[in-house]
Amino acid sequence: MANLKKFLVRRLLTFIPTLIGVTLIVFVIAYVIPANPAKAWAGGEKASEEAVKQIIAEYHLDQPWYDQYWFLISGLATNSIIDPRTSNPVMGDISERFPVTFQLAIIAFVFILLLGLPLGLVSALKRNTWVDTIVRIFALIGVSTPIFWLGYLLLYIFFVKYRITDLAGVPPSPPTQIFHVPIIDSLLTGHFTIFKQHFARFWLPGFTLGFAGMGVLARFVRNSFLEAISGDYIEFLKAKGVPKLKVYRHALKNALVPIVTVLGLQFGSLLGGTPITETVFSLPGMGSYAIDAIRNLDFPAIIAITFIYAIIFVTTNLIVDILYAVIDPRVRY
Amino acid sequence: MQEEYKKGILDRLADKFVYALGSFISLFKKGWKEKNKSKMEEWRLMLYALNRSPPALIGLVLVIGFIFLGIFGPHLAPWKYNYFPSLENWTVQYPAPPGTSVYLPYSHKTITYPLGSDNYGRDLLSMLLHGARTSFVISIIVIFLGVPLGIILGLIAGYHGGKIDELIMRITDMFLAFPALILAIALSAVLPQRLQMFVQSHVVLEKLTLLLFALDRREVGNLGNLLSVIFAMIIVWWPAYARITRGSTLTEKEKLYIEAARAIGLSSRTIMFKHILPNIIGPILVYITLDFGGVILMEAGLSFLGLGATPPIADWGRIVYDGIQYFPRAWWLIFYPGLLVMLVALGWNLLGDGFRDILDPKTRRSIEFKVKKSEEAESNV
Repeated sequence: MANLKKFLVRRLLTFIPTLIGVTLIVFVIAYVIPANPAKAWAGGEKASEEAVKQIIAEYHLDQPWYDQYWFLISGLATNSIIDPRTSNPVMGDISERFPVTFQLAIIAFVFILLLGLPLGLVSALKRNTWVDTIVRIFALIGVSTPIFWLGYLLLYIFFVKYRITDLAGVPPSPPTQIFHVPIIDSLLTGHFTIFKQHFARFWLPGFTLGFAGMGVLARFVRNSFLEAISGDYIEFLKAKGVPKLKVYRHALKNALVPIVTVLGLQFGSLLGGTPITETVFSLPGMGSYAIDAIRNLDFPAIIAITFIYAIIFVTTNLIVDILYAVIDPRVRY
Repeated sequence: MQEEYKKGILDRLADKFVYALGSFISLFKKGWKEKNKSKMEEWRLMLYALNRSPPALIGLVLVIGFIFLGIFGPHLAPWKYNYFPSLENWTVQYPAPPGTSVYLPYSHKTITYPLGSDNYGRDLLSMLLHGARTSFVISIIVIFLGVPLGIILGLIAGYHGGKIDELIMRITDMFLAFPALILAIALSAVLPQRLQMFVQSHVVLEKLTLLLFALDRREVGNLGNLLSVIFAMIIVWWPAYARITRGSTLTEKEKLYIEAARAIGLSSRTIMFKHILPNIIGPILVYITLDFGGVILMEAGLSFLGLGATPPIADWGRIVYDGIQYFPRAWWLIFYPGLLVMLVALGWNLLGDGFRDILDPKTRRSIEFKVKKSEEAESNV
């Protein structure tokens, strides 16, 4: 166990330089922002000079870069940066939209698990048959389909033609919040009508977002399961006369280790796909907020959102690494 | 069971192709063909392996089709991408569905839309053909600048180790800390104005860009947006390659032949690029092939979000972006561009998946044996 503790400490220590790096890149992005956004924020060409000056001073746009860096990072941390478009603190706006994005990613993740795992197992058990080929083609189509195209295709089928999905607004959150993810909270607190509404609104976007990941996971499960089942210990189990299903369970346990890693990576790429999915299904999440911000030259919001996405991404990677070390005692670098 | 390898038409074509390629290189480097017999034999077997894998062949056909459209698309297009029939005839309800014909009174022409039109009456087919060039050029530039950057940094980090390695890999980690699309969105949102100024102050670059994308001079004001997407994707693309290359360099540099190369006093640059790189490039080539599809998907995604190519520049993702306000009536504005993106990405993915098998020496050896046998049988007759 001491070994595990050592690993955790070391892993957490490398987390810090990465975070600093993230803030640096975010700052560079903020720094290359076009010459004078102040004018646009003050109201375009007709803006008075005083207003522009006031905005420049407020956002430290005339200060040297280290001062700007400090202003940006401390502002993001303490939530003191005011959005020039909505006049709210930027992080406040984002925290309202965060649950939508998070819920979308979670539902997509559940789809990936529910469809990807069984598909992978089936194609491993029926290796080199037509089932295997179909799963392989499905995986390739999955990673080749643009999210926006699939989204509109499914919208056409499920909304325009058959109306099996909701498309307007976001259902209310349950009164008591535990994880601040409405669909989980409502299930836990027993508000099944709210759960149903959320499911009706989110299942199609979730499926669309998870589509690429299903095939990837299926292929991965297949390969690592086949690798696990070709181990010597499996031969031994078979020779001992252990029933087939039990043998598979042993193999699955060993195949699980790389699968956890791939699932972690999948969650990261799901996050990347949220802006497009949210735009297609008009979900008011972080991604579509970022796109709105870009249209209105609302740079503080863009920067804050990029920062938040990176933080979530880095944290998931950290969790995956830790899980990996906990599941497999052999992995302790 | 004795299996005999029967050569098909494609295999015979492959023979001719490899022979022609060898002769072609020999024109510039005397005696190349004689010196590299085994290398050509390997190439021939790779092509044989390719011929025996239908998915890879489908991928190859799709990719060749895409490259063809990317090069000749704008010249094949019946109408120019910035020709707006709605200016001449506004009595029609645009976007017009596929198969509509519209008479243009000023130019005395009739325009027929095989795949429909957009809201300005532009022919969708022509826009798609022009858009092929846009996404072709963008993917080529991103791969040809981003990947070598990553490979070089990875080689340096892996070969030298120590502080250089630490520095390069920490920077790589910083970039990998962002979901790729998010970083690309942020960068292509903030970069356009600066790139626009940069392009307009360098006449050669400006002319080159217009030429590459087959654009009119009047599109000069929109180049910043187009270049920002390219720039953003290069920034997003190199870190993964730096990491992969570093990993394989680390294992490769411990091998004896590198030790020998160092012992006879070769410079580290020669060792890195002439000895290590050729030995680790195989798997990287597979990634590159797959990533062509990835770049095209990401580019389409970015322009679907309204970043990158601005109208009237034709771009597959942008056509969808401009068409969604007419959804679901004008389904063709979403269906056809998206279908093209998917087919192209699928082509690259199928090809890359096939390459993985082909580059596996085991596949080649199994074919080699059979080919030798059947060739001996042929020569005996």
